[in-house]
Amino acid sequence: MTDPEIPSPQGEVPQMQVTPARKRWWHQLSPVWLVPIVALAAALGVAWQSYAGRGELVTISFQNASGIEAGQTPLKFRDVTIGVVEQVNFGADLSEVLVNVRVSRDVAPFIDDGAEFWVVRPEVSVRGVTGLDTVLSGAFIAGRWDSESSGAHSRFTGLEVPPMLGGPDQTGMVVVLRLRDGNQISAGAPILYRGIEVGAVGAPRLSDDGESVLIDAFIEAPYTERLTSASRFWDASGFDVSIGASGVELDVKSLASLIEGGISFDTVVSGGDPVDPGDSFEVYPDENTARDSVFTSANDATLPVSVVFDGSVSGLTVGAEVRFRGLKVGEVTDLGAYVEGEGTARRVRLRANLELRIGKLGLGDEATPEQAIDLLGTFVQNNGLRARLTTASILTGGLLVDLVELPDARPAEIRMDAEPYPELPTSEAALSDFAATSQGVFERINALPVEDLMEAAIDALDSFRALAADPATRRVPEAAVGLLDDTRALVTSEDVAAIPAEVRAIAASAREILDKIEEGQAVENLIAAIGRADRALTSLETASEDFPAITSEVRSIAEKVDGLAMEELLASADRLIDSADALIGTEEARALPAAFTGALEEMTVFLAQIRAGGAIERANSAISAAEAAANSINEAAQSLPDLSERMSGLVVSADGVIAGYGERSRFNTELMSVLRDIQSAADAVTALARTIERNPNSLILGR
Amino acid sequence: MTPAAVPTARTAGLIGCTRCGRVFAPGTELCTRCGAPLSSRDPRALQRVWAWWFAGLVVYIPANIYPMLITRTLTYSGEGTILGGVVELLGHGDYFVAFVIFFASILIPVGKFMAIAFLALSIRNHRFLDEHAQHRLHAVVEFIGRWSMIDVFVVAILASLVRFDAVATINPGIAAISFALSVAFTMLSAQSFDPRAIWDE
Repeated sequence: MTDPEIPSPQGEVPQMQVTPARKRWWHQLSPVWLVPIVALAAALGVAWQSYAGRGELVTISFQNASGIEAGQTPLKFRDVTIGVVEQVNFGADLSEVLVNVRVSRDVAPFIDDGAEFWVVRPEVSVRGVTGLDTVLSGAFIAGRWDSESSGAHSRFTGLEVPPMLGGPDQTGMVVVLRLRDGNQISAGAPILYRGIEVGAVGAPRLSDDGESVLIDAFIEAPYTERLTSASRFWDASGFDVSIGASGVELDVKSLASLIEGGISFDTVVSGGDPVDPGDSFEVYPDENTARDSVFTSANDATLPVSVVFDGSVSGLTVGAEVRFRGLKVGEVTDLGAYVEGEGTARRVRLRANLELRIGKLGLGDEATPEQAIDLLGTFVQNNGLRARLTTASILTGGLLVDLVELPDARPAEIRMDAEPYPELPTSEAALSDFAATSQGVFERINALPVEDLMEAAIDALDSFRALAADPATRRVPEAAVGLLDDTRALVTSEDVAAIPAEVRAIAASAREILDKIEEGQAVENLIAAIGRADRALTSLETASEDFPAITSEVRSIAEKVDGLAMEELLASADRLIDSADALIGTEEARALPAAFTGALEEMTVFLAQIRAGGAIERANSAISAAEAAANSINEAAQSLPDLSERMSGLVVSADGVIAGYGERSRFNTELMSVLRDIQSAADAVTALARTIERNPNSLILGR
Repeated sequence: MTPAAVPTARTAGLIGCTRCGRVFAPGTELCTRCGAPLSSRDPRALQRVWAWWFAGLVVYIPANIYPMLITRTLTYSGEGTILGGVVELLGHGDYFVAFVIFFASILIPVGKFMAIAFLALSIRNHRFLDEHAQHRLHAVVEFIGRWSMIDVFVVAILASLVRFDAVATINPGIAAISFALSVAFTMLSAQSFDPRAIWDE
């Protein structure tokens, strides 16, 4: 027997070959197989998870992919990363960059066709620094969409500029603004309400018809209540310089609006209707226009017409007013010239296109352009409605088109077949009228013989003084002692007794006139006073008709005086003296007072001449600021002190003369009082002269 | 050299302890010297080899697909796979480092997979390699397997060292775990191999 522990190889080999009865194969499986199974399951699980969780692919096209890196650039929604750019490639024709973004599965359904994407890069603008975090982290794609899922979408066009307007998650309202041009506005410009930024505008775009620029404006929520249909928007860009009564005004809005532009709005009147999103508003060039526009009719329809002018339209500009009875009913939209006729008959005519606001024509808000043109046609035929150039401003020489009714105008009608718009008949430009008128007024004022009159009066008074101072005159009293008695008898006569009163009344009237001039009353007063003086004089003449001969004599002297020939005057004075000498002792010496009457009459003539020259009334109303006239009057007025001085001198001289007539005579007394009246009249003239000297305009302006 | 020329415990009718080398009579369950379980030839050894081999292969796939390192710096956030890292290093001109990583992370594991599979398949077929060569191959595979962990160590060290919060952070990715598992599984696979079977007829 062998040791069982060490069996012999020979005997044991068959035993070792024996294997246990075959078990079923799975009983032979090693439990280690669980490991690869678990590993496989885990790997598959991870694979499935990453496949299932990798989200939806969204393709966004951009013009350029600056800062976008595949596998790096995140897509963020409300600053939370919801996806990563997976791939960046080009569109079919290389015209765009397609950025494929893997968006997490739970967000993807919300990315519907209203979604917007843009690239956030660091940006420094006048409004501040944005996207600063992207300096370090690199650009990212931002997206926004509303919180309602309405069908996932996988192809988008990215915005090239970040949208400034509130997204769906911001409360507010988007309205459309219409501008004439987009010069002043750039995307992101603020919307201001009383200086507070309440929103922003988007990028300007051209309207479909190319006529205007449209901008979406987003207005934040609480401020939308301020927005009604009565709101007006205006361009608050840059700064305004206005020169007004208060001086120069510089109005600078916010610095941002200075550079980027800005739009302000205000609700000018209450009672507007609520505004719906997407409503459009006109943007007016400035605040005043915007506010004024509130009072214009709601009917914005316009009627284009053209007008052909023969003369120069220098001064007429695009935008010039079209007025009808002083009311602005439209404006000039275009000016141009065209050639009319053939051969030698060719001539250049100037055509202005007008835009009439139908709402302003009184046809009501619902009127159509056809109704408006009918109305105009009726006016043209029945009332003689014509277009005419008129000066808008005497200072700038600007013109406006005035629609005037000239009943006497030659018959005409609207040429409906005219190109491009129906043509309104015109009449002579009121411009030339005006020029003529103003010219005439100036000329007449210049031609007023004020200086001559003054000189004539001065000369006349000089003559009287000379007369009074003349020894021959001094001789008169001595030679006329008897005359005085006669005169006394004359004076006591009723007629003569009335004369001084009349004279005084005249003097009073004259003084009143001068006072009124001094008081700065209108020229009408002057004329009325002259009228009174005239009437008084007439009655005086009536009273004096008893002394026709000497009266006419004196008048002839006066006329000579008026003629201003000095030697003639002296001769006349001599003749007067002779006459007076001759008169002494004659019945007609009683007519002596008439000499004074004549002197006063000179004044009357003087005043009457002023009145005759006195288109002053017209001048006054026509040109309120005619400096030249003022100057000439002023120059004339320089002579007034002279006049009054000489009047005083006359009074003094006359005093001396009269002293010789006897001190206590009644005539003398009356005469003295007349002279005093003249003296006070002279004083009034002096005061007037001073007033005019101080303020030459006062005569003209009535103040 | 013929197989018969090499005597085995089995041909001698004995059971050898694989741990301490003592031989016992057939039927003995446990080694009386070291207490290791005794079996002449483990019938399930090959199964375990293949099971660990498959497990290692399964986790080796994500180890190469998924990122090994997740690097975040102020301006950069990147994920690097093993092969990506090799290519990047090559691009920088670090050929030596690239080769080391490629060798340790790609060549060795792949070579191990192939070697183990070859041994397991040709355990009774000595047409390509004789028993001695196969035995040597097994020894090399067992020895070299642990060095594949070099990659994992690098990642672990980097991840623990480079941790400056905002400025720079390195985190191990899924691939690091997968790779470590893969290395472990292939080591177990090589260990499960019963080299005694090489010598069986």
